[in-house]
Amino acid sequence: MRAPPPILLVVLVATALRAHPEIEAGLARLNTAVATQPGNADLYLERGELYARHEEWFHAEANYLTAAELAPRHAGIFRARGALALARRLPAEALSFLNEARDLDPADLSTRILRARALRQLGRNVESGEELDHVLRQSRSPSPDLILERAALLSPPESLRMLDGFLSRTGPVPALEMRALSLEESLGRIDAALARLDRLTAAAERKEAWLRRRGDILRRTGRETEARAAYTAALTAVSSLPPWLRESPESAALANELATLARSPSSSPP
Amino acid sequence: MTIRPALLLAFVALGLSPLGAATTILRGPYLQSATPDSIVIRWRTDATEASVVSYGTDREQLTSVAKAEGILTEHIVPLSELKPATTYYYTVGSVPFAPPAAGKSGSSSRAAIHSFTTPPPAGTVKPTRIWVLGDPGTKNDVQRAVRDAYYNFTAKRATDLWLLLGDNAYPDGTDADYQKAIFEMYPATLRTSPVWPALGNHDARSANSATQSGVYYDIFSLPTRAQAGGVMSGTEAYYSFDHANIHFICLDSHDTERKPDGAMMQWLKADLAATTRDWIIAYFHHPTYTKGTHDSDKDSDSSGRMNDMRAIFLPVLEQGGVDLILTGHSHVYERSPLINGHYGKSPTFDAAKHVVQRGDGRFGGDGAYRKKRGRVPNAGEVSIVTGSAGQAGSKPPPLNHPVFYLALNEAGSSVIDVDGLRLDLTFINDKGEKRDWFSIIKE
Repeated sequence: MRAPPPILLVVLVATALRAHPEIEAGLARLNTAVATQPGNADLYLERGELYARHEEWFHAEANYLTAAELAPRHAGIFRARGALALARRLPAEALSFLNEARDLDPADLSTRILRARALRQLGRNVESGEELDHVLRQSRSPSPDLILERAALLSPPESLRMLDGFLSRTGPVPALEMRALSLEESLGRIDAALARLDRLTAAAERKEAWLRRRGDILRRTGRETEARAAYTAALTAVSSLPPWLRESPESAALANELATLARSPSSSPP
Repeated sequence: MTIRPALLLAFVALGLSPLGAATTILRGPYLQSATPDSIVIRWRTDATEASVVSYGTDREQLTSVAKAEGILTEHIVPLSELKPATTYYYTVGSVPFAPPAAGKSGSSSRAAIHSFTTPPPAGTVKPTRIWVLGDPGTKNDVQRAVRDAYYNFTAKRATDLWLLLGDNAYPDGTDADYQKAIFEMYPATLRTSPVWPALGNHDARSANSATQSGVYYDIFSLPTRAQAGGVMSGTEAYYSFDHANIHFICLDSHDTERKPDGAMMQWLKADLAATTRDWIIAYFHHPTYTKGTHDSDKDSDSSGRMNDMRAIFLPVLEQGGVDLILTGHSHVYERSPLINGHYGKSPTFDAAKHVVQRGDGRFGGDGAYRKKRGRVPNAGEVSIVTGSAGQAGSKPPPLNHPVFYLALNEAGSSVIDVDGLRLDLTFINDKGEKRDWFSIIKE
């Protein structure tokens, strides 16, 4: 199949030239390159990605179509079309493209992540989880968001096991510990939740926020004496800050709040 | 110093040259993740060999040796148990450094002796110079002119650290792009001053934050476990570190989830709550406000990333007491007065409501911006787009965002000097002209 008629490209470019300086600069470079290499699918792919980054979906799709006609078995084009369909909230269409991209280049983890997200949007959580497991196994150091994304597809006990596996590798990353902590609390495992808080507290230069959170958990579960002790410990932590920090409005407000919480069992924590 | 015969035999058996003459350094050395007592030294050779750093506080006595496992071309050697605020001399190679015999020159590049100075203990006061480069990586004469203008400006004053605000290597952030745009552009600075980068959209074409893979993540060694201060992020995509009495926060505005309940936000809140430093400087690629070569009012521009950073992250940064926000992406220089609380599009900006302190912020002018010492939420920050270290806008941009006191379509870089409770920022253009400056005082 042929590339789009020149008149269509002229219209596409003319419309976009009114759009945005970065698109303008990128387009100028790519248009020149396309003019000299009209059969180069990668240039259309790059131009499509330029549009997609600026949510110019129509122009992105037009360029991807041309690229696909020029290179029907190009994994990057399938991935880009899948990403575009996902961005447009068309998960079934996205999955179809991403299946092709995965078959052509199974080692491309970006494709596998997009495919997992398309599967999840289609409600196929088990397959989505399997795809994410593959990515996590292959990644040297997966991001906390990716780990949390996988954990969200598991039952609370499974999720906890998985998070602990990563925490043993990464150390007490707050985002992972906090998810694990809330799972522990939801399962009624309060002491385990508190142990996680203790790890975060130990690693923190300023401990008052974590100690206050400890008090909140204890008060929510009716362990009033321990809750008061935690609030008092938080108050002590505030008072041990250097004067210029201790006397700041933020610290003063926190100290007042902690003093109230330490006195009053009726003050319900958030 | 002599190499013992057994060691020599071992090198011969492994096919290595004990003098390191067979290999050439292609990249570096460059300094990463500096802390008061540690630093990571990296370099690349054209052939595999061992990784050895010889170092010491006396240029003539490089008697300490650090090594990394393996026979490699990509060398990553951590040095530990260093003294704070101390100048170290070092060489890199495949074997420990042997000083040239008396009367011989020994001037091969492999024997070159470099130096770095470790940061002072966290929280202490020491005059600190920071070089800030946004979107530098064009590899062209403009980038060179901006670099040379800074070198002339700073002269013999050492650069304590430098920040890259993303789009560090055009067009695709490939290894070859980085080689030309960073490693061959700033070799002297790389050898002597630790560089702390942020990820930009062009870097992300060859990198993936979710899997922390690709060129950007291969090139840089950044703290994931709070090795340099702050709270551990668990990722090199976003991190924090301390230098003297300054806390730096680097966010990934391009390729990491920017949701209010995302991991980066949770980490940011914890990190802001934990610091006791006098100054907080946050940096990331996508500006919260701009009317330069990008438009922060346009939802589709950069897929809404500027909106996200302004509407989701800026309130948290301001609540946490941030003093300075440095961004790039837009190839201009735009600088606000002391502002707070503006999270909408530019028509909603109300100077009476959102400007904490008006004026140019200059001694000898309207006066420095003044803040109270301590963690005062929403006490105002100066927001700066300094994304023209490689090029200015090719066409005149609007430069009419009302939040800014000054906006320039000029190539250049920014220089920050922090001394105790005083912070000065200067913008130097590619002709070496001082085009903006201001001060913030904490009292």
